[in-house]
Amino acid sequence: MNQSLVSKALFRSIRLNTGFAFVFPCLLLLLLVLGFPAFVAVANSFTPVWSNVKTFTLDNYIKLQQDKQFWESLRVTIVFVAGTVSLHLILGLGVALALNTEPLGNWFFRIIAILPWTVPDVISGLVWRFMYDPTAGIINYFLDRLGVQNPYVEWLAAPHLALPSVIFADVWRGYPFVMLILLAGLQAIPKELYEAARVDGASVLQEFRHITIPGLSRMFQVAFALDVIWQFRRFGLVYNMTQGGPGNATDILPLAIYRQYFRYFNFEYASAMAVVLAVIMIAISIPYVRMMVKRT
Amino acid sequence: MNQRLRTTTVTKRRMRTTTVLTYLILIGVCLFNLLPFVFMLFTSLKTDQEAYAIPPTFWPERATLDAYTQIIVWSDFPRYFLNSTIVSLGTALLSTVLGALAGYGFSRFNFRGRGSYMGLILATQMLPGVLLVGPYFKLLSAVGLYNTYLGLILAFTTITLPFSVWMMKGFIDTVPEELDHAALVDGCTPLSAFVRVIMPVIGPGMVATIVFAFLLAWGDLLWALVLTSSDDMAMVTLGLSRLVTQFRVIWPQLMAGSVIASVPCMVLYLTLQNYLVKGLTAGAVKE
Repeated sequence: MNQSLVSKALFRSIRLNTGFAFVFPCLLLLLLVLGFPAFVAVANSFTPVWSNVKTFTLDNYIKLQQDKQFWESLRVTIVFVAGTVSLHLILGLGVALALNTEPLGNWFFRIIAILPWTVPDVISGLVWRFMYDPTAGIINYFLDRLGVQNPYVEWLAAPHLALPSVIFADVWRGYPFVMLILLAGLQAIPKELYEAARVDGASVLQEFRHITIPGLSRMFQVAFALDVIWQFRRFGLVYNMTQGGPGNATDILPLAIYRQYFRYFNFEYASAMAVVLAVIMIAISIPYVRMMVKRT
Repeated sequence: MNQRLRTTTVTKRRMRTTTVLTYLILIGVCLFNLLPFVFMLFTSLKTDQEAYAIPPTFWPERATLDAYTQIIVWSDFPRYFLNSTIVSLGTALLSTVLGALAGYGFSRFNFRGRGSYMGLILATQMLPGVLLVGPYFKLLSAVGLYNTYLGLILAFTTITLPFSVWMMKGFIDTVPEELDHAALVDGCTPLSAFVRVIMPVIGPGMVATIVFAFLLAWGDLLWALVLTSSDDMAMVTLGLSRLVTQFRVIWPQLMAGSVIASVPCMVLYLTLQNYLVKGLTAGAVKE
């Protein structure tokens, strides 16, 4: 007992500065490769485009406000994120509930269920692009086999079909991760709760409402937050499927910003667009950061 | 007695419907999840002509490994693989070493600004890559790191490090503090206590952190696209994306390349899935 007291005192005395020393290298690197570029990007967004004189101006933001393409990209981004995240959550929850009943062949089903998420999104984009191909793709092949008249649908070239098609491909790619997190959440709910409810004669729906939903809420928040963040940042999948086309139909903001930077070289204007995207993402994820920090 | 009997029959009926529903969902999942893989694999085994046949074929009529030979022997893909491996490994090691140190600091010590730093590190994920690419591109050009492995590694570390810190902290939190107390009493410095006592215990978690960072870097396209110019520095994701934006896309080769680039990811993710979930949700499931 005496020894543990000594050790506690010893430990406390070196706690104060040692902790920071451990964290310091990580903070320094983040400051250099993340903090500094972020700062420069924000500063750039307030300077005139293509100018050597760095004066403060709001021109970029004013132009942004009148830029129809920007608003269209913002709309597409929001539809893309809202569509993919909600479908990831619905499908993920459904499959997690199914796997949580521990069916025969659980192990096998679980591996299959995760598989799409293990592939880089760049490659998912390629595969789906070919699947959507009007003449050589497998989707129209099945439509043809099912007897659909005129089965050569232009999934990625028709303006009204392109975004739903991209969203569908991303749902395939992204829902398994949400499923994994929700499954971990389901497995953390004590089985006795369900047994007790069953003895009391609760219906399946009542069990779901009063045990599953409250028990899962925290993991649901984590899955939601991580997925929203990742979907706002999604780049490779859409880049390889449509490059934002046809027209602006699938032009999510990361693609639009990339183009402003490296096709048109409007660095300052691109920065302003990126700052808007960052502000949206930060605003959405503040509750998540709060929750994670508070719990530790 | 009567009551109990009713409960069991209700339970039985309920179990039957849920079982049927469960298997229906799971069979649907299998079809939906596997079809793109099957199509990818089958296409990679087709000849060029067959891949473009109208109407298309499902099974390859004459399976051939030509596309794989083309990719492995006659293209620059081996070089892209080498690049991806070097960059992803470098990223994973740098990110995990720094993440482990920071995770230990956050897990075991209380210091001024601890909470804010943790929040800040988490919040860096909210900065989209496209915000950083422009300035980072200029910065790397200015210091001569544009189109180099080191430049790419540093860039990918911005994506992976926040995850690594939080994952490592989560794993270290599960180790009882008495272990490092004992080591400190025996005269270890905090660093050697970490290396000798903590690290062996959290081995699997550390491997998971390394793998996760590796895969994040392996699968990224944006930085690979922006930070390299010459073909001999291209990563696999970039090589594949270039093939698809060419005038004539040779799908069997593209799919063969995709298969080769996906298999390591599948194997790694599937082996470490449990640790990944634990790491990514650390803090949310405690208690």
